[in-house]
Amino acid sequence: MLGFLFRRLGDIIPTFFGVTLLVFFLIRLIPGDPILMMAGERGVDAVRYAELKAQYGFDQPVIVQYFDYLIGVFQGDLGKSFVTKKPVIDEFLTLFPATVELATMGILFAVIFGIPFGVLAAIHRGKWIDHLTMSLSLTGYSMPIFWWALLLIMFFSTTLGWTPISGRISVMYFFEPVTGFMLIDSLLSGEKGAFASAFSHLILPTVALGTIPMAVIARMTRSSMLEVLGEEYIRVARAKGLAPMRVIMVHALRNALIPVITVIGLQVGVLLAGAILTETIFSWPGIGKWIIEAMNRRDYPTIQGGILMIAFLVMAVNLIVDLLYGIINPRIRYKR
Amino acid sequence: MALLEVKNLTVEFGSEDKPFRAVDSVSYSVDRGEVLGIVGESGSGKSVSSLAVMGLIDFPGRVSADALTFDGQDLITMPAKRRREITGKDIAMIFQDPMSALNPCFTVEAQIMEALKVHEGGNKKQRRERTLDLLNQVGIPDPKSRMTAYPHQLSGGMSQRIVIAMAIACNPRLLIADEPTTALDVTIQAQIIDLLLKLQEDSDMGLILITHDLALVSEAANRIQVMYAGQLFESGPADSIFAAPRHPYTQALLEALPERSEGHDRLRTIPGVVPGQYDRPQGCLLAPRCRYANDHCVKARPEVTDFNGRDVRCFYPLNDQGQPTGLTADTTTGETV
Repeated sequence: MLGFLFRRLGDIIPTFFGVTLLVFFLIRLIPGDPILMMAGERGVDAVRYAELKAQYGFDQPVIVQYFDYLIGVFQGDLGKSFVTKKPVIDEFLTLFPATVELATMGILFAVIFGIPFGVLAAIHRGKWIDHLTMSLSLTGYSMPIFWWALLLIMFFSTTLGWTPISGRISVMYFFEPVTGFMLIDSLLSGEKGAFASAFSHLILPTVALGTIPMAVIARMTRSSMLEVLGEEYIRVARAKGLAPMRVIMVHALRNALIPVITVIGLQVGVLLAGAILTETIFSWPGIGKWIIEAMNRRDYPTIQGGILMIAFLVMAVNLIVDLLYGIINPRIRYKR
Repeated sequence: MALLEVKNLTVEFGSEDKPFRAVDSVSYSVDRGEVLGIVGESGSGKSVSSLAVMGLIDFPGRVSADALTFDGQDLITMPAKRRREITGKDIAMIFQDPMSALNPCFTVEAQIMEALKVHEGGNKKQRRERTLDLLNQVGIPDPKSRMTAYPHQLSGGMSQRIVIAMAIACNPRLLIADEPTTALDVTIQAQIIDLLLKLQEDSDMGLILITHDLALVSEAANRIQVMYAGQLFESGPADSIFAAPRHPYTQALLEALPERSEGHDRLRTIPGVVPGQYDRPQGCLLAPRCRYANDHCVKARPEVTDFNGRDVRCFYPLNDQGQPTGLTADTTTGETV
């Protein structure tokens, strides 16, 4: 198991290099000069421009700039934002919990509803319940996040007034962040109603963000489950006289989950991409919104740092998924 | 009273108005301590009929029978929950392919102990001891270390022993072995059959041995049931069926045995295949492949009749010399006899 872990960690290194390369050069392909952007409408004279260029290292060849950047990254230095002049890593860490909170809720939502829907559809294959869940999930999958989110707001927030429209918590509550996770902080603050407020602010973004992964998970669970239900060992389990529920939930689901777990891991990438849209619509102060703003301002260090951290996160999650895989599937644990 | 009594068991698939009968009015009984061999080609309904006995035919399959009783209890009208108490405890089944019969996600121990837990209860320690016991009984070398093995770490023969251990865990009174050796090496086959027969003898179980290995059945079974395309074609005591088959199909099966082809250039075969859902003949199901078939056979379907103390489904059962009886001039075509 330990050897497996190290091998997988070894796989991450080249991927990491690839991401730094992509992110560094792609952002420089986008038209727009960060120094001119900083100067704003008044512009800047040629002397000052050259000075600033030298100050930010833009006078160096791009390849030199890249290695300077890389050396910084390996020392844990992602640079400073052009806009706020604060270290990128600090800004990231401040905003990150909000995104993690949203993404975690999104994936939980997707798993909690997706897997049972998939199982239900599989065991009622061909009946109305199968058709219903599968057409719902196809609809969910086809729905653009920004549109779906707006529909949710219009119906639940505006018409019914059940949930707040945007933000993380009602302005009535204020407390110092401890963990950065609003659900936990609101509990720690001891203020009455704070948790309920934080939770109600999370509901719509969670649904908006979790719908696509849920649809993917439901469909994957269904097809994987159908395959497993046709296996001989399911018949053997039934021949033991086990209750149908046990056969499905223990014998079938465990095997069916193997491909589903992979899909869940892959959905984390989708989720973070979706978080950018969701955060923008719900004014959710997370890294998605932060990166979008940085892009508009050509804030190179922030974009590079943010995307690198997200890529790192996706890799880490997929590593965890691979390890989980081994726990669920003994054949992988022992091979190689 | 027989341990298992099956009367006119029918299993249908497909739509109500145009059903496909995988098993068509099959009757048999198995007694305590008796070995019943069910033989026939692939697709003759051997497995489906035993799955019906186990209660493992799913929607859209439909099972009906005039009687399906185990130890006097009616299995058909019994509530599902009560039936599950019998399935796996009193009636157990061994499947064809041991490599796919074990759940790849669970250890050997977990899978055997599960059956014990459901039917016998007891605590974990007792169940573990019993499992070790069972592994010893089925001849697993070094059973202690095999307990925690996963199925992919076992060979085919080893897996089949585990499957057998799982089946006999709760001391079943009837064991159904569905081609238990088909997926195994020839050398292992004999060992597994010996093991099954020993277990059967020791505990006085009833055993249904489903196979297409006639040689095996001739040694092991007390009675034999020959099936074809879902129908019973012939049944009777094993030795007498081998000595004098009454049905042309049984005769042809026996002739196809390699040891009976000595002196011939080629092994004898039965031309054609078992009819499926869409190519079922109108008359006798064997007619297209039967060397004795005549016009009457093509038009009408024979019923099971008693012939010299044996159940045979044929218009012209064979005599001791292996020749059809009852053929009259007007039913005979030039080709027969």
